[in-house]
Amino acid sequence: MKALQVSKVTKSYDADPVLRGVSLVLEAGERAALMGPSGSGKSTLLNCVGGIDRVDEGEITVDGRSLSGLDEEGLCQLRRNTVSTVFQFFHLLPTLNASENVEFPLQLAGLSDGERKERVTELIEEVGLSHRAHAMPHELSGGEMQRVAIARALSIRPRLILADEPTGNLDSTTGDAILDLLESLSDRHGIAMLLVTHSRNVTRICERTFEMRDGKIVGQDEAESE
Amino acid sequence: MSRPGSSPPGNWAIGRLLWSRLIWRHWKKEFRLTLVLILILALGVAVFLSVRLANKAAVSGFGMFTESIAGESDAILRPRSGILEEGVLRELRDLTGSHPIGIFPVLEATGVVGSDEKQGLLRLVGADLVALQNAGNYAEGGAQSFGGGARGGENSVLGKPDRGFVGTSFAKRFGVEVDDVLAIIVNDRSVDLTIAGVLPEDPNRAAVPDNLVLLDLPGLQTLSGHPQSVTRVEFRVPPGPKSEEVKNEALARVWDYAAANQFLLETPEDRKSSVTQMSAAFRLNLTILSGLALLVGMYLILQAMEASVVKRRSEIAILRSLGVTPGQIRSAWLLEAIILGLVGAVVGILLGRLLAIGMVGAIAQTVNTIYYQTTTTAVVLERSEILFCLFFGLAASVVAAMIPAREASMTPPAQTMRQGTQGGGLALLRNRPLGWFLLAVGLGLAFLQPVTMSSGTTVPIGGYLSAMVLVFSASILIGSLFRPMAALLARLKGNVMWSYAASQLKRPEGRHRLTAAGLAVAIGMSAAMGILVASFETTLTSWIHQLLKADIYIAAAGANSVANENTVSEETWQRIAEMPGVAGMDKLRRYTISSRGGDFFLGGADYNDDPERYLQLIWVDPPKDKGPHALEEMTGDRYPGWISQSMARRFDIELGSPIALPTPAGIQPITVAGVFAEYGNETGTLIVSRQHTSRWFSDTSISNIALYAENGTDHEQLIERIHSEFPFLNARTNAKLRKESIRIFHQTFAVTYALEAIAVIIAVSGLGLALAGLLLERRNELTTLKSLGATRREIARSTMWEGSGLAMVGYVGGILLSFLLGWVLIYVINPQSFGWTLVYRVPWASFLLLGLLTVGAAAIVAWVVGFRNAELKSDRQE
Repeated sequence: MKALQVSKVTKSYDADPVLRGVSLVLEAGERAALMGPSGSGKSTLLNCVGGIDRVDEGEITVDGRSLSGLDEEGLCQLRRNTVSTVFQFFHLLPTLNASENVEFPLQLAGLSDGERKERVTELIEEVGLSHRAHAMPHELSGGEMQRVAIARALSIRPRLILADEPTGNLDSTTGDAILDLLESLSDRHGIAMLLVTHSRNVTRICERTFEMRDGKIVGQDEAESE
Repeated sequence: MSRPGSSPPGNWAIGRLLWSRLIWRHWKKEFRLTLVLILILALGVAVFLSVRLANKAAVSGFGMFTESIAGESDAILRPRSGILEEGVLRELRDLTGSHPIGIFPVLEATGVVGSDEKQGLLRLVGADLVALQNAGNYAEGGAQSFGGGARGGENSVLGKPDRGFVGTSFAKRFGVEVDDVLAIIVNDRSVDLTIAGVLPEDPNRAAVPDNLVLLDLPGLQTLSGHPQSVTRVEFRVPPGPKSEEVKNEALARVWDYAAANQFLLETPEDRKSSVTQMSAAFRLNLTILSGLALLVGMYLILQAMEASVVKRRSEIAILRSLGVTPGQIRSAWLLEAIILGLVGAVVGILLGRLLAIGMVGAIAQTVNTIYYQTTTTAVVLERSEILFCLFFGLAASVVAAMIPAREASMTPPAQTMRQGTQGGGLALLRNRPLGWFLLAVGLGLAFLQPVTMSSGTTVPIGGYLSAMVLVFSASILIGSLFRPMAALLARLKGNVMWSYAASQLKRPEGRHRLTAAGLAVAIGMSAAMGILVASFETTLTSWIHQLLKADIYIAAAGANSVANENTVSEETWQRIAEMPGVAGMDKLRRYTISSRGGDFFLGGADYNDDPERYLQLIWVDPPKDKGPHALEEMTGDRYPGWISQSMARRFDIELGSPIALPTPAGIQPITVAGVFAEYGNETGTLIVSRQHTSRWFSDTSISNIALYAENGTDHEQLIERIHSEFPFLNARTNAKLRKESIRIFHQTFAVTYALEAIAVIIAVSGLGLALAGLLLERRNELTTLKSLGATRREIARSTMWEGSGLAMVGYVGGILLSFLLGWVLIYVINPQSFGWTLVYRVPWASFLLLGLLTVGAAAIVAWVVGFRNAELKSDRQE
């Protein structure tokens, strides 16, 4: 089953078209980069795929479910169980510590205490932050915060992760480490990823790269297989 | 560096740019928020102003009738007690001789319309109408209006006890016209009063009070049972080139005469000031209360302004990044605050005037019941009040806006743009050692001695300062309650949004602290007043219970006002004493005495013979003999007297102190033999035997009767018999009098309740604003929550738990504060202001209700705020 299918999607803000008939497909476990200049519509597309914004026309299907048929409650369920987002500025909940941030979506999803604790320990260890599990967000470095955000995104075992400039706020060494982590986790758990980026470096972990301009996909590169 | 050919814009140009592009456009865009800000400012100003205006209007109705009819007198001569013999007039005319000075004798009495007690007292003023008419050349206006009435003939009012003039407001109030007849009761008699004329309004004079009836002096002398007597003599020197000279010479002679005869000679202003001083403490308390409401308003204004700044923080950061200096940003904000402050103050002044009009009746009724007779006058806005309120509105707005604006303008723009500066609130509120220090200072201030005013009224400055400092201390220390509250919420094991809300309270931001402080101040103030009222009510109820042991209480009509001068004649009370079913009675005659720089009440008491059934006072310093005849026998050459606790405090006298009591029969030597508790008035009462007062005042009438019925007598039937025989008396059973006393008590606190409600409403509105500010600040967090799958309702619910928790912190802090404020009110302010000892009583049930209402209202407000803000989008990255 395809992880994501976007068909002829259009979206306007105050009669100003932002997306003009965008179409793309992501297979299960596939990683793709979405590149393009500022204002080309990358983040809007990401918001629409994540169900935070709605499209005007066209169709988005995530893991076989059409988003246009979902009401607000259905979109919330989608975000709780199927799609996760990783932000450029991490967006950790500032009053929760690292573990609690990772645990939070699991609580929303209604997992039992034992199941949650087990999964949080496992994920925190997987992103290499066991020693910082109880640190508050403001006590963490940028790289550590992004690791927590990735662990949080993985916690619900999503079919698709949307990453908006995941390394945009990190130095190159830390950024590389985060990309390696995303790649290995995506491979290990079979999660598809759509990464919005300005950086060519990000494309090294992607099988495909979509080029966006003026609200349209204007090009597509297939990565060479190693 | 500026480009060649161009010069950098100056501060003024940048200021104009900021004003037109930012402030003005922001107001247009956020019209509703701007309106809310203005309304909050207006409410703060309005509450303060309304109490001040209502206070003034409620007591300004006290005055000499000549103020509105014959122009203001230059001096007033009156006895220290009782009334003057008319003979003094001849002596005064001889004294002033050929000087052109007007001498106006006046007799005042009281009456009521029909049997309706709610109509209030009538002021019956008897004046020499011929003299007033003749004085028309210098007493313009009213005196000209007597028409033929003062000239004799068929329609003459001269010497008539049943014809009088009234003002237009009186005519309107009672719906009467000229020649209409109104049944009024004076003492224990009914009279059909014919309206002889309606005095026209003169825009240059104060309006004639709506309860005043003007009669010819001999007419009122007959009607009130005071033949050839006057209450006072007023002097007026006509204006002219030699008026100052005449005034000095003639009044100097009157002064000597007054001193030699133990009379008082005062100006109307002196008199007004010494009488209204009696209610000074009551009015001061109201003003302080309104000041506290204002303090709560200040917190709200601060919160509102801060929320507004937070909303525009990124705007400030962008301006900084474009090269606008922090000083220029602060100036723009200052301008905005000034305009908002001025507009808010103007709206507040208009609103305050409206509130005052609604409030003045309640205050005047309290003053009438407890202190002295007054009528309400129009609420007048003086220029000084307007200026004060404009200044206050401006200052509050500027202070409240500049604190957060300064913080925002100093924050590095990159930090603000990337993450938004978190926190808000005042750094001061995090300074816990300061909080503990202020607590100690506040408690220490409570032990300061009160300041005594010229009239003998004491003002507990230390108590008020203590209350203020304790409020500030609580504002800071309330931060300590967040952790325990969060721990409690966490322990209750709610769902995930519950835990999330608890986590917000565990690490409170400055705005949480500021909101909780505002709420705690409002709750603390209201709850402290609740403690005072409950303590007062408990004490009063127990006092009434112990004091009111008689079966039936009788008084002349109009008994509900302290200014009532109606009496029950000897013939009437003798007949009541002989009625079947009557076992005995206590009798009391009350007089007003002017001595020691103020007025107090003298009670002539005559207790029932039964050693078990007679009025037994509650003692603070008990006398050796408390028996019914204890006051009758002289001790050596002095009369024994019992004084109330208020009198002891007001005049600084105690057990064994001598009192020189001025009476028409000369100065009487009294020794204080006991001090009793009395909560009916703060003026002070001296009780001596009626055997002596009836001799000193040549008066056998009485003011009140406490009647003891024979066993087995039906009290209601006995009252019916009394009413059928003496329809003009007010007779009530013990239970009814108790109920009436409690009703009057609650009426006294009616304004207090209204102010409390306003304070809590203000504080809950503040909580809503603060939460809106917090959620705006946390908009990225909201987006994260939504991206994690939280629904709009879940976010709203989380905000509701957070708001409820915040309200709980404010409530608990407020209740703790109220215990301290209650202590200051009951053990410091109250005894120092009124001389009343109260039992400390906490109204737990009311507190619980207050808590439920506050937390409930906060939960609803927070849910709405959360639901609305859950739709906010995060800052777009593109």
